[in-house]
Amino acid sequence: MPAFKTPFNGYSVKFSPFYENRLAVATAQNFGILGNGRLHVLELSPSAGPSPTPVSELAAYDTADGVYDVAWSESHDNLIVAAIADGSVKLYDLALPPSANPIRSLQEHTREVQSADYNPVRRDSFITSSWDDTIKLWTLDRPTSVRTFKEHAYCVYGAVWNPRHGDVFASSSGDCTVRIWDVREPGSTMIIPAHEFEILSCDWNKYDDCCIVTGSVDKSIKVWDVRSFRVPVSVLNGHRYAVRKVKFSPHRQSLLVSCSYDMSVCLWDYMVEDALVGRYDHHTEFAVGVDMSVLVDGLLASTGWDELVYVWQHGTDPRAP
Amino acid sequence: MERAINRQRILLDHLQPPPSSSAPSPLSASVCLAGDSAAYQRTNVFGDDVVIVAAYRTALCKSKRGGFKDTHADDLLAPVLKALIDKTSLNPSEVGDIVVGTVLAPGSQRASECRMAAFYAGFPETVPVRTVNRQCSSGLQAVADVAAAIRAGFYDIGIGAGLESMTINPMAWEGSVNPKVKIFEQAQNCLLPMGVTSENVASRFGVSRKEQDQAAVESHRRAAAATATGKFKEEIIPVATKIVDPKTGEEKPVTISVDDGIRPNTTLADLGKLKPVFKKDGSTTAGNSSQVSDGAGAVLLAKRSVAEKKGLPILGVFRTFAAVGVDPAIMGVGPAAAIPAAVKAAGLELDDIDLFEINEAFASQFVYCRNKLGLDPEKINVNGGAMAIGHPLGATGARCVATILHEMKRRGKDCRFGVISMCIGTGMGAAAVFERAGHADELSNARVVGTNSLLSKDAR
Repeated sequence: MPAFKTPFNGYSVKFSPFYENRLAVATAQNFGILGNGRLHVLELSPSAGPSPTPVSELAAYDTADGVYDVAWSESHDNLIVAAIADGSVKLYDLALPPSANPIRSLQEHTREVQSADYNPVRRDSFITSSWDDTIKLWTLDRPTSVRTFKEHAYCVYGAVWNPRHGDVFASSSGDCTVRIWDVREPGSTMIIPAHEFEILSCDWNKYDDCCIVTGSVDKSIKVWDVRSFRVPVSVLNGHRYAVRKVKFSPHRQSLLVSCSYDMSVCLWDYMVEDALVGRYDHHTEFAVGVDMSVLVDGLLASTGWDELVYVWQHGTDPRAP
Repeated sequence: MERAINRQRILLDHLQPPPSSSAPSPLSASVCLAGDSAAYQRTNVFGDDVVIVAAYRTALCKSKRGGFKDTHADDLLAPVLKALIDKTSLNPSEVGDIVVGTVLAPGSQRASECRMAAFYAGFPETVPVRTVNRQCSSGLQAVADVAAAIRAGFYDIGIGAGLESMTINPMAWEGSVNPKVKIFEQAQNCLLPMGVTSENVASRFGVSRKEQDQAAVESHRRAAAATATGKFKEEIIPVATKIVDPKTGEEKPVTISVDDGIRPNTTLADLGKLKPVFKKDGSTTAGNSSQVSDGAGAVLLAKRSVAEKKGLPILGVFRTFAAVGVDPAIMGVGPAAAIPAAVKAAGLELDDIDLFEINEAFASQFVYCRNKLGLDPEKINVNGGAMAIGHPLGATGARCVATILHEMKRRGKDCRFGVISMCIGTGMGAAAVFERAGHADELSNARVVGTNSLLSKDAR
């Protein structure tokens, strides 16, 4: 499967929930520390058999600061939310000409925005999390955020909606906790001190609405049941540096993917004893973005600081031409 | 800019979490063999190093005529064993084994004498004693055996010693020789008198009489200077004994604390007058051979962690030992084979060695080995060797350990590695590498380059 070279360092990659061959990539110049950013929308040419399928760039949007994350709208196939390092949240419409984009720039976070997640149930809203220790809830019809969730004591690296309940989301933070929130409640409904070190990512199981996974600077991945969160359901060890992102499979209940500062992308089955299903060492720099396609079973995408975006079928070599 | 610094800090925390958390940092420096192109392998202070806590010897005296001519062998060994305990305040019951190198005495009798000597020295019955015989390197072999046993974990503290009274046990062959020996040339060569092997070395490798006599003169000069400046006082334990006047039979108590074989005014001219002993037109004389002597030495070794816990002094570190076989007909070449083996095993090169103690069994083999290895004469036997001080076969190895480690201690920082070696009758060589205490390479993958020739040693 093809690799795509981005001019800047990759930060995040997401498959479109509408088109199986489309994906968005968030990148930032100079490793996201200083400089501009660029949001790429890539199109995989429909593959016909084993022939090489080149990747083409459908659109690219430049930003004044690094793009740390990207999320596809669940309601409009052309709508993209981008989390920008300067604290802004920008909306892009692929149907409009580049000059009309971004269609909106929401400037409320006071520091870097690291994650954006579109509500898959109530498809008009999304959340963003930021290094300003807050999570913000937005809807498309409002120019300002609906609500700010401020409880974490340090950077909030990730916030994801529960796939079943449109009001529930989880957030992972550098204060070493994961918090579960219900937007109808005034405060967080649950605090899980999941790791001894910063928690860089979390995700909900797509088949079990009580199951979450966390990835931490302590190099481990833990699977939790929010109904009994004193001990993790499973601890997955194998990464040699901090785990940057974890994500449950949309197709298999016990399968999850992770990427790490150790430059590898790993697939895990947390229900079996030999949990590590596969390890991909194709990146030559920190692997910071990974996604699994909802529309094609087993299709993976990853990006990293080596400025490369890989798309491959699980079990095949990402670097194979 | 502040923002960029903040971002860097947050990302860096992901890689190297601040130690405030309870878990230890996942990153730490560790020693590895990969190293840079340094001349020698980085060594460091490790708890499981085998260290030398103390090393002493008796004076070496001419057999049959010298200070120990009327002294029992066990009375030579007991004082040095006792000195190890007295000078380090070690509880003798903590010694795991006493290994004594001894050559000429009948095996079982000598083993008994050594066991008795341990009792004289105040060791409890629980401390075992054994002997080891690798001919002239027996004393060094005893030290190496103890070091190996400590490394293997058999015990943490042990004594390697050496003992020989050539007055009581002259070199001899008991019983008949197996006639089969005639079929095996090498076996037959094992029966050659040592002096003949010396002549073989001299003639085969062209070591001249003058070179040999010169080496003997230098040995006496250095030994005399070391004695005069009191250098040996640190390593020699005075032995209170008796001397019987051969004519009157009168017994006189004496304390022997000085080597009595050294002749400070030995000259080349004097030695030149001596007749060859082993071959009519040969070059090996009484003057350029080692002296026949009586003496003993003992070395206290311990695991570093144990020594430090008990507050014992650390004189040096035992690094490596090697014994290598050579042609019995020229057994004197042993050190030329053994030294490179031991030095290589230590991860060093010959250039890294600051001091050598090479036993002068004969000037011929000593000069040959020195030249063969291209060693600097100023680094070898700086306080004289066996031609002046004497060569009590089993004790020599332990004697050399005491001599070299005390000399390395005196020289301090400029002297890090020392090598002891000797040839062995029937064709072998043994060598051991010691490191002065107090040297440790910092954990670092970079080092200060004094003079940069832009070529690593490896590139030569």
